[in-house]
Amino acid sequence: MAKKKLEIDFAKAFAELEDIASWFEQGEPDLDEGMKRYERASELAKSLKEKLDEAENRIKEIKNS
Amino acid sequence: MQVLTVSQFVTYVNETFKAIWDPTQVALEGEVSEFRVSQGQWVNFNLKDGDALVSVFMVLGKLSFPVADGMRVRLYGLPRIYPKYGKFSFSADRLELVGEGALQKALAMLRAKLEAEGLFDPSRKRELVRFPQRIALVASRESAAYGDFIRIVDERWRGLEIDLYHAVVQGEKAPASVVNCIERAQKNGPYDAIVITRGGGSLEELMTFNDERVVRAVYASKYPTLAAIGHERDTTLVEEAADVRGSTPTDAARRLVPDRRDVLYEIANLEQGIADALLTKIDEGRITIENATVGAERWLESFRDRVASLLRLVSSFNPESILKRGFALIRDRQGNIVSTMTKLKPGMAVVIGLHDGETGAMIEGKQGKLI
Repeated sequence: MAKKKLEIDFAKAFAELEDIASWFEQGEPDLDEGMKRYERASELAKSLKEKLDEAENRIKEIKNS
Repeated sequence: MQVLTVSQFVTYVNETFKAIWDPTQVALEGEVSEFRVSQGQWVNFNLKDGDALVSVFMVLGKLSFPVADGMRVRLYGLPRIYPKYGKFSFSADRLELVGEGALQKALAMLRAKLEAEGLFDPSRKRELVRFPQRIALVASRESAAYGDFIRIVDERWRGLEIDLYHAVVQGEKAPASVVNCIERAQKNGPYDAIVITRGGGSLEELMTFNDERVVRAVYASKYPTLAAIGHERDTTLVEEAADVRGSTPTDAARRLVPDRRDVLYEIANLEQGIADALLTKIDEGRITIENATVGAERWLESFRDRVASLLRLVSSFNPESILKRGFALIRDRQGNIVSTMTKLKPGMAVVIGLHDGETGAMIEGKQGKLI
């Protein structure tokens, strides 16, 4: 499970978070939907932060074959 | 007495040259004159000094820079007689430009040629993605440029996969080595970017990154390229052909990845904005409840439940901001939260918590209205 979190597509997750923020900015009146999106946003923000806190850059040399 | 045929003689002379002339030990230097290319593949010119002249033959593909009359060059190859016509010439395998003047001139010619072909066209430059996940790095693993680049990437970002293609970045073998790295990266992709970097050096040392083959390989890359060669003041043709130019290896790292501290701040802002917007919705919901008629009581019940659960959800994120919006927290003497009218009795002492403090209060009467 922890491994899966580190493998999120950072760009996609960040874009989804931005989408949720702009959905809220447009002021849609649907409270149920708002709650769902809020929960999703919290999840996304958490995994994005985890990725930036925990993951390392990985260097691999590609040899001439 | 030995008698040779003409063919034997020419072979004998050529074999003798081969035996006594070691191209790794001897080079021929002089000034180019009457330079010409025939059939798009053969190069002929005269190499001369004040007193003598020799004819030179070369394959066009072996020339990595444009050559023009008046340039001083150094040739590596073999003297030989061309059997069919009996013409003596120096057959060059490699040509080096000598002196800053010749280098600058060749560079200007090549730049003009490639520019005319559109290799530096700004309209075809691609942007780099904001959050790269996987990149190819073409650099020498022993270089300071490599160390600087990795250090800054590590300082700024996390979770990047870097495939290092170790290249020879200086000298005779460098152009082919760099081209080989770029071509292998095309096969091993996809990459969000191909980064090509090398530290500072003299014009001669940086010539690999002005080599036509290397410039064309960068131009042909199907993945966006980021090149940073030498210092700020050096601009090589590879950098002009790349999609993005970094002034130094360090600058390339900064252009490749954002600073994680900025991005963490941005995430926190987005999160706060979303939470605030949700709270506003809840406020709006409350007004709706107050304005609703008794006939909609059942609907209101469920709506109120939802508001309550949203409040719990949001308060787990930031209880203080709820209180700031005018909500109060009521506790009994034992400190239990009083969340329903049924727990309140006239004369009962309670504690009212607001966002900036608490105060005691007494319940006077009881009304069955909604909040």
